[in-house]
Amino acid sequence: MSRTKSRNILGWIGTYALWISMTLITLLPIYWLFVVSARTRVELFGRPTLLQTSFYIDNYLKPLSTPAFQRYLTNSLIVATSNALLVAVLAVLATYALSRWKLGGSDSIFFWLITNRMAPAAAFILPLYLLFTRAFRLGDVTLYDTRIGLILLYCLFNLPFAIWLMKGMMDGIPIELDEAAFVDGASTWTVLTRIIVPLAGPGIAVTVILSWVFAWNEYLFAASLTSVQARTITTGLAEFVTVTGTNWGEMAAVSFISLLPALIFLAFVQRYIVMGLTFGAVKE
Amino acid sequence: MRSNRMGWGLLAPTLIILGIMGLLPFFYVLVVGFFDWNVVSATGKPIWTGANNFRRLVFDPNFLGAMSRTLLFTVTVVVSELVLGFVLAQALVKEFPGKSFFRTIHALPLMVAPIAVGATWRLMTVPGFGIAPYYLDRWFGIDYNIGRYAEHAFATTILMDVWHWTPFVTLTMLAGLSALPKEPMEQALVDGANRWQVLRHLTLPMMMPVIITTTFIRLMDALRVVDEVYLLTGGGPGDSTRFIGIHIWRVVMTWTDYGYGSAVSLLVYYFTLVLCWLLFIALTQIGRQQE
Amino acid sequence: MANETVIEAPVTRKARKGFLPFHTNTFDRYFVSVLIFVALSLFWLRFIEAFLPIWIVPILSILIGIVIVRKG
Repeated sequence: MSRTKSRNILGWIGTYALWISMTLITLLPIYWLFVVSARTRVELFGRPTLLQTSFYIDNYLKPLSTPAFQRYLTNSLIVATSNALLVAVLAVLATYALSRWKLGGSDSIFFWLITNRMAPAAAFILPLYLLFTRAFRLGDVTLYDTRIGLILLYCLFNLPFAIWLMKGMMDGIPIELDEAAFVDGASTWTVLTRIIVPLAGPGIAVTVILSWVFAWNEYLFAASLTSVQARTITTGLAEFVTVTGTNWGEMAAVSFISLLPALIFLAFVQRYIVMGLTFGAVKE
Repeated sequence: MRSNRMGWGLLAPTLIILGIMGLLPFFYVLVVGFFDWNVVSATGKPIWTGANNFRRLVFDPNFLGAMSRTLLFTVTVVVSELVLGFVLAQALVKEFPGKSFFRTIHALPLMVAPIAVGATWRLMTVPGFGIAPYYLDRWFGIDYNIGRYAEHAFATTILMDVWHWTPFVTLTMLAGLSALPKEPMEQALVDGANRWQVLRHLTLPMMMPVIITTTFIRLMDALRVVDEVYLLTGGGPGDSTRFIGIHIWRVVMTWTDYGYGSAVSLLVYYFTLVLCWLLFIALTQIGRQQE
Repeated sequence: MANETVIEAPVTRKARKGFLPFHTNTFDRYFVSVLIFVALSLFWLRFIEAFLPIWIVPILSILIGIVIVRKG
């Protein structure tokens, strides 16, 4: 009996040792990022330590007060928010259709959706760059370097994910509810807004948050399809390395700002992040 | 009331947007892939060349190098993440105080922008003030420099990817393990099987659907890695971390070789299509077995 | 709790079993044929074109495609 007991205690110690070290490994790079963002140039090139007592706020204030960076930040906020809302609306309509109607070829549609979600962005930059600069134009106005272009484009990977994620939730809403409403003479629109959206509310919220984060995080399309006006914060961050050289403190500060949403939303959506990244194929 | 027209009408906006943003570009590269087109060439106009772009592609050492480098990277990270993630999920499946805290922190890298992951790791490894070179030199006497040594850069990209994506594997495995029935394992242990046999003959076969799904998703994600590697090493030193995505970027944006870039894009798209299709088959196949 | 389904696709498909190692529907069999055509072409360009001309590939692929679509 005492042998199993001591084995149990060893098991507990092992579990905690493993998970405390995993937590430290996860947090170390992010902590170091924060430390660098709080240091002056002189402090930085001294002997590297992990302790930090002072906070050099200029690293944050300087980028935040430049017009270019403010523009990047607003662009990112606008693009991510509009895209998440657009995706949510379209995904509700699409999943409602896929769930309630037997549409021919809907399994091929799901396959096509998954290819859009997983396709490498790099394979799309050339055709999209050419289409955005040459084909999609009204007079002199093209989609290149516009926020609306990015908002529509991010549907490419967010919409498939949202539809896969929400199809199961939509199937979970009993069809009798809408049948009853239709018998009472309700229109499809009323059914959608009065029955489906309230019942699917939590699922829609998760979809919106995850789409928002994916849109905020996107880099490759933003880097190839914008130049000045519609640049987002991720591209701004990359410019710190390539263009302005090596102002490490400010670069760390900008990185830290760009990962703040992740830190904020983490607690809300961590239960659903697996569903999100496997587009709903793995349930928890 | 329930006419099919209504259904397609609700689906239409989605199909239109995805058609313009997804299908149209695909057919566009499909066509351009058969043309010789470089805006800075003598004519700057597309010229029909038949299959010449693809002929060039299969002999191009730059492309083949990038491809084999990407495959080596992909296989290494996916295998290490699967093993590590499975072990960690085993250690997280039982209840203990603080479990949800550890789980939440563990999921953090999944939410961080890949580009910020790259920046973070660059700050860790940059020669001069990064902590990695400093302590490796001080404790082990290793001259660690990702700007100079190809192996160091390559190994760092692998480590970074493992840091970034192991939590994903852990959490999917955890979802799978938590849903497994307990009785067969306990019965087998009572009957005198050891833990290894239980794992090998009971747990792993029952986990197969989750493992297959996770593997395919990770394979596709690893094949298209660009952002974090680009910010960490920029593809260098030399071409040691120039993965296929970065190679496409160079061909298209730096050399503006549109025809050849289309051919490369198409081939990368082809690989993803194969993997996607296998994943889709696996997913729907699993659905059938469970019915 | 115990037998919860963890993996779930939003669609189930009607498919049949042929000589391919999984159930396939018509779309799948055409899709496999196209994939084989592309793979064969690239392989041919790299290794065989020096001895045999490229136009053999489409003919060969169509033959393989017919077999797969009918029996796969």
